[in-house]
Formats: sequence, C-alpha cells, structure tokens
Amino acid sequence: MDEKLKNGLIGIVGAENYSEDLIDMVSYSYDASQHSARPLCVVWPQNAEQVSRLMVFANETHVPVIPRGAGTGLSGMAVPIKGGIVLDLSHMNKILMISIEDRLVIVEPGVVYANLEKGLAAYGFFFPPDPASGKVSTLGGNVATNAGGVKGAKYGTTRDYVLALQVVLPDGRVMRTGSRAMKSVSGYDLTRLFVGSEGTLGVVTEITLKINPRPTATSTASATFGNLEDAGRAVSQIMHSGIIPSVLEILGKETILAINKNTDLNLPEVEAMLLAETDGYTKGETEYQMAKVTEVFARNNALEIKQAKSDEEAINLWKARKSAYAVLARIKTHFVLEDVTVPMGKVADLLKGIEAISRKHDIQIATFGHAGDGNLHPQILYDGYNPEDVKKMEAASADLFALAISLHGTLTGEHGIGLSKAPFMTLEHDPAAMNVMRSLKRMFDPNNILNPGKMALDDAGGPASEPGIHG
Amino acid sequence: MEAKYDFERKYREQILQCSRCGFCQSVCPVYGATLRPALNARGKMLLLKEVMDGKIELGKELIDSLFQCTTCASCANNCPSGVNVPEIIKQVRKDMVNIGSCHPAFAGMNEVLQKSTNIYAEDELPDFDRKRDQKAAYVYFIGCVGAYREDEATEGALDLLDRLSVDYTLISEVCCSGVLEDVGYSLNPKLASQNLERIFATGAKTVITGCPYCYRTFTHRQEYDELRKRGITVLHISQFLKDLDFGVTTDKKVTYHDPCDLGRHCGIYEEPRATIRKIAPDFVEMQHHHADSLCCGAGGGVRGAYAKNSLAMARRRLKEAEDTGAEILLTECNSCVHNLANAKLRKQNIKIYNTTAFINELMTKKVRNK
Amino acid sequence: MEIQGYTLPDELYYEENHYWVKEEGDLLVMGMDDFAQKMAGEIVFVQLPEEGKELTAGKKFAKIESGKWLGKVFAPVNGELAAVNEELETNPGLINSDCYGKGWIYKIKPSDKGEVANLIHGKEAVEKWVLAEIEKYAKE
Repeated sequence: MDEKLKNGLIGIVGAENYSEDLIDMVSYSYDASQHSARPLCVVWPQNAEQVSRLMVFANETHVPVIPRGAGTGLSGMAVPIKGGIVLDLSHMNKILMISIEDRLVIVEPGVVYANLEKGLAAYGFFFPPDPASGKVSTLGGNVATNAGGVKGAKYGTTRDYVLALQVVLPDGRVMRTGSRAMKSVSGYDLTRLFVGSEGTLGVVTEITLKINPRPTATSTASATFGNLEDAGRAVSQIMHSGIIPSVLEILGKETILAINKNTDLNLPEVEAMLLAETDGYTKGETEYQMAKVTEVFARNNALEIKQAKSDEEAINLWKARKSAYAVLARIKTHFVLEDVTVPMGKVADLLKGIEAISRKHDIQIATFGHAGDGNLHPQILYDGYNPEDVKKMEAASADLFALAISLHGTLTGEHGIGLSKAPFMTLEHDPAAMNVMRSLKRMFDPNNILNPGKMALDDAGGPASEPGIHG
Repeated sequence: MEAKYDFERKYREQILQCSRCGFCQSVCPVYGATLRPALNARGKMLLLKEVMDGKIELGKELIDSLFQCTTCASCANNCPSGVNVPEIIKQVRKDMVNIGSCHPAFAGMNEVLQKSTNIYAEDELPDFDRKRDQKAAYVYFIGCVGAYREDEATEGALDLLDRLSVDYTLISEVCCSGVLEDVGYSLNPKLASQNLERIFATGAKTVITGCPYCYRTFTHRQEYDELRKRGITVLHISQFLKDLDFGVTTDKKVTYHDPCDLGRHCGIYEEPRATIRKIAPDFVEMQHHHADSLCCGAGGGVRGAYAKNSLAMARRRLKEAEDTGAEILLTECNSCVHNLANAKLRKQNIKIYNTTAFINELMTKKVRNK
Repeated sequence: MEIQGYTLPDELYYEENHYWVKEEGDLLVMGMDDFAQKMAGEIVFVQLPEEGKELTAGKKFAKIESGKWLGKVFAPVNGELAAVNEELETNPGLINSDCYGKGWIYKIKPSDKGEVANLIHGKEAVEKWVLAEIEKYAKE
C-alpha cells in the first residue's frame, strides 16, 4: 500500500474510518454476483464533505473509487475490478427529513430500505419500489441501480420516485439536481441521469424521494395453468383489463418442481403458476379488482384458482413464491439470477424460449419473476467448480440476452449491467447510443476513476480511446 | 485438492452454498454495531471460501472476523441458502486454535479449565450463604457468569426459590465447559463428570439451571447423556417458573429479551413470557423478538474478546427496549443481564433484571408492605 | 515516583487494592493506580453508582471490569459518593490512557477527611508496598 495514498485518505476520514485489513479486502472483493476483485483499501466517509475531499484526492492521484452500499447487487457493479478505494457509504445512514405535508423524504445514501419503510409506516406511508434485498439494500444503492421489485407493474421503479439528488462529481464538485416540487421541467433531467448510473458518474450523497400513502387492504389469489400460452395470455389480458394488480408473479415448472422437492408445500406440478395481489383502501375495492383478475384466469383455462379468504391464507399462497429463491439457491453450488425483461405480451414467448435454451445447453434453468411488468428471473443453476458447467452457463446466458432483445425487451429489468452484462451492451444499444453514453462518462469523469470497468463504458481501451470502436 | 482443515472437510458444501446475497447483514448484531461487512456471516463465509480456494491463509489476520461472532444464529435463521454459520464458526475456531491462530483472549482457555473450575480462573466458588451438596429434590446449577459476575442476580434467583419453598441445593459446581466449544476448544469431559457426580450425589431428580448455556450443554451434549439415562430432568429456571404462582404483579410496562441460547438455540420462547404475563399485565414485545430477537452481544466469547463492540451491541438492544416505552427489561440469562446492565447509561431509566430477581423484588416489597 | 515501570505519584494516597485518592477542596478524588490498570489490561466497564450512595470504609461499592478481570472497588473512607466521571460510561479506556487525570473515577464527600491518614502514603511506604505487590503478582 502506497503510504502517500494511505495518509491522504486517513487525513480525510480519520484512521478509524480507513482499513486495508485482509478481512475487509476480501469482503469488499465481492457482491452477490459471481465476480470478485481485490480493492486497495476501504474508507467509510461520514458526510458529503468527506466524499468531496476523497474525490478530489482520488482524481488527483488517479486511483479508482468504487462507491458501495450493501453490496447486494447481482451484476458485479460494486466489484472493484480495477482495484482502488472502496467507498462504503453505509455510515451515512440518517433519515434527514420525513415530510408528509410535501409527500417526500430526504435521506442519506446509507439508509437501509427497510429502515425507511419502518420510519414511514408510522405515518401510514410507504416507498413502493421494494427490491427483494430491501431488508439490507441501501437507498443509495437502490438509486444507483434503479432498483425495482415485485410492485413494478403498478408502482414503477426507484426512478419514478427520485425528485432530487445531491451528487459529488468525480472532480469533487458537489452538485444538486432536481427540486422538492412534484413537477419540474427545469433544464435537463440530471436527476434521472444518475438513477441507474451504477456509480459511474458521481457519488450520491443525499436523496429526495417521493412517497405514497400506504394501501391498507389487499386481496390475493393464485392460479395454475397447463400450458405457458394460457398463462402468458392471462398476464397480458389482466394488464389491459382496466385494473393494475399491485403484484403479479409467475412461477415456471422447473421452479415448482424444485420447491416441491425441497419443501412440503406440495404444489400442483403444472407448467406455470400465477400469483396476484390487488391493493387499495377498502376490502370492497381490492375484491372488485381481484374478481376481474380471477375472471381472466378462468377465461384462460386456469386449472385451479385459489383466492385467499384471510391474511393467513394469503400468506400461505405467497409461501411458494417466497421460498423460490431459497430453494433454488440450495440446488447447486452456484447460480446466476438473470432479469431479462420483455413487453407484457411477450411473457409466454420468453418462458418458452427459456425452456428451449435450457434444453439446448443441457443446463437447469428455473424461472420465476414479475410477470406484471414482463420482468422474469431465469435462474441458471450450475457448479462453478466444473469448467464444463461454467461454459454451459455462459452460453445459456448469451442466448437468453439475445432472446430478450429479439422480443423487443432489455438485458436487465432491475439488476443492472455491471460486469455481468457489459459484454452484451452493444446487443441492446446501437453505436450512436454507446457513443453518447461513453461521451457522457468522459465528460463527468475524464480520468475514469469512478467505478471503472463497468457498463462497457471504457472497455474499448480506456478513457483516452475513441468512442464507438466497441460498437 | 486435499482438504487442509476440519472445517473444510465438514462444511465445504455449506460454505459454497452461501450465495453472497447479504441478507445476513440485516440481522447480524456485530454488523449492526460496527457496519463492517467483513464481520457479518457473508464476510466470514467469503474468508473461508478463499481459504478453501487457496487464495488466503487461515491465520491471525482473520481473527478479528472469525472470532467476532456471538454465535447468536440470527444469520442461520435468515439464510436463504441454509448455511449453518454458528456451527461452521465453532469448527473453524478449533482449526485456528490447532494452528496457533487463536484470539489472544482465549489462548490458554483450555488450560485455565484444566487447572481452574471456572472460566474466570477465580479461586473460590461463592456459596451465597447457602449449604452445598445437600440431599434435595432439585439441584440449582448457577453457572460461571451467575456465580462470579452477577452475584446480585443469582442472589435474587436463590431468594426466590427460598420464598417459593423449593427443596433445592447448590452443588460444588464446576464450569459446564460447553462454552469451550464456542471459542475453539472442546468440552472438558473431566469437568462434565465432576458435575454429574455432584448432581447424582444429591439424589435430585431435576436440575434447574440459571444459565441458558448450561441448560443447552446439559440437554444437548453427549458428555451429559448420563443425566437423561438416569431420568434426571433438566430445566432452565424460566421453564421451572412457568407453572408457579407468585401472587404479585407490577403495573409497570415490561418487555422481554430472548437470550439466544434459550430462544434460537433451544426453542424456549413461550415459558418465560407465560411467567412474565402473570406478573406484568402491561407486557410489550420489542421490534425484534422470538426467533428474530436481537443478540445482546455477549455470546461466543465476544464480550471477552471485543468488549467495546459487545457493549455497542447491547446498547442497540437497549435502544429497542426503550423504544417500546417499557420501564423494565426482563430476560433470564446472566450473560445478557450482565452485558445489558453494563451497557446502560446513567441517563437511561430502564431497569434490567432477570425475571427471577424481579419477581423476588416484587415479593420482597409485598412482604415489607404487609 | 516510578517503580519498575509503574508510575505512582508521591503526593497521592493509596488504598491497598490499588486505588489512589487525593484531596480536592472538601472532596476526595479517587481513581485506579497505574499498577492496577496495567495488570487489568483494557478496562471495558466501570460501574458508576448514583451520587449520594453511602460509603463504608473497606466495603465494596462498585465493580470495574477489564476483558480478563473483574475488580471490586472498596470505599477508601467513610462518606458518600459526590460525583462520578460520566465520560467513563462510553470511554472506560480513559483509565488506561490517563489513570491519574482524565481517567479519574469517583469523587467522595468524606465524613472525616482525616481518614485518609489510614491509606498508604509517602514515598517510602508506597515503594515498600508496591515492591511487595510486584513480587506477589509475579508468583501467581
């Protein structure tokens, strides 16, 4: 470790907020993806001013800086692939303001999603985009990755709630974007530019979020289907039936079989299962919506429709979906959890395509996901210590991405590009779009110090190279 | 590749099963107090994975992570991949002791318990002004923390048993030595047989333990199998109390802290609450309770080795207790009482007791007021 | 004065369990001496009873804990507890870093100030006592 670098960092954050201990370096080498790489050191800044001074220092010394929240990302965006300083923002974890009057909250980036939810519950409000990792994930991370969740179809994703940001730019300048107003068309939408930018453009140090009144009533139902076309058609018909369920989830056959093998839920071993939740403020309201949903289920040859009559029954219906991740995580030593997303009308095509890819590469792919917004999670299960298996996984992933793009979808609905999908960026984005993205990156970060190596922004040969070569 | 360590031989599959989702971070008391991900279960599993992959050496550099775990089992309870972290940690600590990379606080702990009768290497077992090793229906087994560190709590428990006219005796107890398993060593069979002998000599049919860890050791470890074979029942004091009537109540708001060794490790959640509800009609739960209870920070040797962080964990738990508006925080574990009471700041008004000591205080006041 | 690496200021009075006492106006200030803080190692907890607590000379009134050791604190004189060092609640390590200064622990209002005469005091007495203590602990 370079003493000058070390002393410079300690001078900014203090010795107690700096580490190069092996245990920290190992832990900051990973996120929830399959990637890993060692950083040089970690700092735990306490405020925006320290972040700003850190960026000035890093920019002068040309050392990479990797902003990090809870490290629950599935694409490797927090993995320090070029080494450098991990900037763990979890110490900046204060909820600065809850304003019910203005329907917004202001938080530091290290606030854990679940803690904000707890704070808002007291007022009967909530912040809808709830990623599965919400108990751990930080709002800074949610903003940087534009986190989604099961409620996307009705409530959108993080992007739809960010009103304003305070951002430290790579050269250390502190910038404010947006305002506290619900509507604003003042200048370029710099706020949105940072949402989902994966820590490549700036470090978010303060977030202003819109919040919603919390629905107080829900209805829940499930339906099983003997073929994927029926299930897929049910999804798209629900979405144009005039109501929008708060949750509409799908479990594919492989997932159902795995759940049955590993739990005592005894699900019917059908081609697909849909789970729907409607929400509102009175039971009448949610039941009315649910009647429409179950009507669509029936019209599309559902084999069995179950509607929960109590909270307890609802919890039981959700058990299958909630157990999916844990069950699938235990089958093989490794898995990749993809998040390809297609237009709602193409959900059945995507499911069928996934099955074909699984057969073609002779690899287990279990699918579940957010049918309501066309965002599916094919989970590819493999043994990471078996090179043959790894090759199959990679080939299957590549086919999946190609499939999603051919269906007019996207590589990633909520997990982001990071390292995992960087090689596929040009599959989705044309040369002009890649050029604009790379130009933006260079404008904000000419020395390429902020989370370098991600999103295919600099893999055409680094910051000095000409744009567009990769495309 | 040939496995180098026992942890690898026993738990390789489980360690690889960790999917790095990080969900353990939300429930790990050590992470909660330090915000240092190297210290939560994911951080520990990653270290072990890298050891198995030959990327790093198992050695002193890993001590601050691998020895900084209270073995509270919250992570295991919430792990989607089913990784039993506390058992893995206990095994890897044994491996570390074997290669001479033990945390200095526990170096020689084994030897301490070869020579001494208790984990603190104290010379004399206090008798609490009571006779020991008598014939009686019950043996009351105090445990090291109660005997040497929380004498007031123990006096409270013993006074209560006296008030309830329980036919019990103390014994010349030695450390159950179960805790050795947590810090890199193995239960000491010599100590176990000394305890067994002294229990048998009393003719008692039931052993009541004051300490949840001793309860766990007596009921789960084969070195104490002889108790079961002879039909001797082992009860934690909270189980013993649940069917009794005390004739006292408090109008104060009361909350309850589940000790990890009693709750997550032994599944005893309802008996202590049944007792408390009898004496405290105004009972409230904290945000985290039952299987989700937040560890006080004392377990797994962390109080001994990382006192500052251990107390910081206790302060987080106290904050939860205060947030309920309770005036009284009850638990039934001398380690928890010790750590929580030590962590309490003078400006904090909440009072911390073992349920036994609290009931005893209520009964004492009642007698005095008559 | 320095005895084999232990600092023991001459002007202080010493209680035999290694707590020092000094006069400060009407009160006595009390803390842990250098020998004890070094033997104990990192202090992690100091019990700070309520002010006004009655103290009986020679009777235990509080506990101090390090990672490896639990110490009882005995009242050096009769009197009552007048003040405690609240800094120690969150930073008990002050006893290790500055046992005669910022690491002071209690202030006592003595019933009879003259009782300090019962404590160990004076260069010669302190030296003799500490040397004996060093020898005693070396054997253990």
